[in-house]
Amino acid sequence: MSYISNEQTYYELLEVSPDAPQDEIHRAYQRAKETYSPDSPALYTMFTREEALELSKLIEEAYHVLSNKSKRRDYDLQLVGHSKLSPEELSNDSQVLQDGHEPTPKPQSKLSNDVPDGHKKTRFGSYQVKPEMEDAIENTMEWDGSFLRKVRVYKNISLEQLSAETKISRTYLKAVEDNNFDKLPARVFVRGFVVQLAKALSLDENKVAKSYMNMVK
Amino acid sequence: MVEINNVRKINRGINRPKARIIAVAGGKGGIGKSFVSSSLSIFLANMGHKVVSIDLDLGCSNLHTSLGLAPPPKGLQDFILKPETKLTDIMHPTSFAGLSLIGGNNSIDDVTQLSIPQKSRLMSSIYHCDADYVILDLSAGTHELTLDFFLMATDKIIVTTPEPSSIENAYRFMKASFFKFIKRYEYQYQLSPVIAELMTQQKQLGIRSPNDLLKRLFKEEESISLKQQIERFKFNIILNQCRSYKDIGLGHSIKSVSQKYFGLPTEFLGHLDYDNAVWQSLRSRKHLLVEHPHSQLYTQLMQMSRKLAHTEIRRVAS
Ligand SMILES: Nc1ncnc2c1ncn2[C@@H]1O[C@H](COP(=O)(O)OP(=O)(O)OP(=O)(O)O)[C@@H](O)[C@H]1O
Ligand SMILES: [Mg+2]
Repeated sequence: MSYISNEQTYYELLEVSPDAPQDEIHRAYQRAKETYSPDSPALYTMFTREEALELSKLIEEAYHVLSNKSKRRDYDLQLVGHSKLSPEELSNDSQVLQDGHEPTPKPQSKLSNDVPDGHKKTRFGSYQVKPEMEDAIENTMEWDGSFLRKVRVYKNISLEQLSAETKISRTYLKAVEDNNFDKLPARVFVRGFVVQLAKALSLDENKVAKSYMNMVK
Repeated sequence: MVEINNVRKINRGINRPKARIIAVAGGKGGIGKSFVSSSLSIFLANMGHKVVSIDLDLGCSNLHTSLGLAPPPKGLQDFILKPETKLTDIMHPTSFAGLSLIGGNNSIDDVTQLSIPQKSRLMSSIYHCDADYVILDLSAGTHELTLDFFLMATDKIIVTTPEPSSIENAYRFMKASFFKFIKRYEYQYQLSPVIAELMTQQKQLGIRSPNDLLKRLFKEEESISLKQQIERFKFNIILNQCRSYKDIGLGHSIKSVSQKYFGLPTEFLGHLDYDNAVWQSLRSRKHLLVEHPHSQLYTQLMQMSRKLAHTEIRRVAS
């Protein structure tokens, strides 16, 4: 649908580096807006009017996100999750992710309400309730990767589903479950991953993240 | 200076030319290609480099005029017509220390069309030219020969003015050179079937610009060397004859459009003011840089030359 491949990040779109400060993003936006305004002399024979309009829309979208500190942080986190960016490339704001940081809102479940008896609904489907597991989830003090995996499998959720939901790559999700910290980016990002993962599993994300982060040096 | 040169000699691969070859093209006539070529040549020589400036506008050579010099007695037509001639035989010293000039065609013999052996002999001589910088002043238009000289350069400069027709011609030249460039790899890497296949699905794959094609191509063809070679291709834009502040923004816009369209890095080397002193100096057979060292243009050209020379230091360092 778009000739700009979906692989282009907002940073690439505005032609700034991912650690660009706000004023630079603003300047780049002003410039891009001018460049892709339909009667810009620089477009002639390169982009059609429709393409220019499409680009202008994308540029507005990029600026809308990147000019807002918390939106930008969420976006950065997604890029890191998708391995499109390494944490070192990010702006300082994103590198010092604060506790209790809320990732992007998730889409609402499209599933119907009726599940068989003894089953519970998740945003992906449903699973059969086992009291001993529910108990363990309620009372465990140690949220490590293997327990998170156990919960995920118990709730009938695949890594693919989780990855689609959280926008974190499967490699990273797997590394979280394997407690493979070498494979994971900096601490702050791991926290972000765990928070999103816990939310997707309908767990208390603060409790889980706090416990999990105790293991990460 | 000496240090830089030594470092470069060590770092040069087997397949690199001896000198940095800077081609100055633009598509449209009369926009200042020769003015830019001559100015960069003078500044680079002034910085202590050994520079050879070559007038490749075979049809109507006038680089000497831009330099404020008389036409040299021997030129490229002598080289082309007499196979025993070497490039050094037709190099003429100029009034600028370190700068030699190779004139174009000052006879009435028509040598605008070169045979393939003539062309390869000339290109190979340029490639092995013993200098720090070789500046190629190219002709207007998108002739095969002009594109070939442009593509052999290590630094590819496109000159344009803010006028729409000049920008249009600059883009036309960029597209022509880019497609010629890709064609070579098509052959070398036998990409034709892949490209043909991609183009039959052009609509579904959303291939609308070279950028899209390259991205798809890299997906199909996992050759790293192909990717590296293509990523080394870079346009450098100079916006000449600017008359208002608004024109400067245009330079950045052209850079951006080129990057998005071709999917290749593009650098905006800077803008140059329009100044009547340019042609007034030429009328008294002197270069602007000699006549008006306090002009804004002088400063702009100096910064541009430094930027170009600096690119090399970065390249060597990395
Ligand atoms: N920045 C400038 N300000 C004023 N005049 C300029 C400027 N740059 C070039 N000119 C003038 O424009 C004319 C054309 O310049 P030049 O010969 O360098 O162009 P060209 O692109 O090499 O042309 P051709 O295609 O004929 O080779 C010359 O008279 C030159 O003095
Ligand atoms: Mg010329």
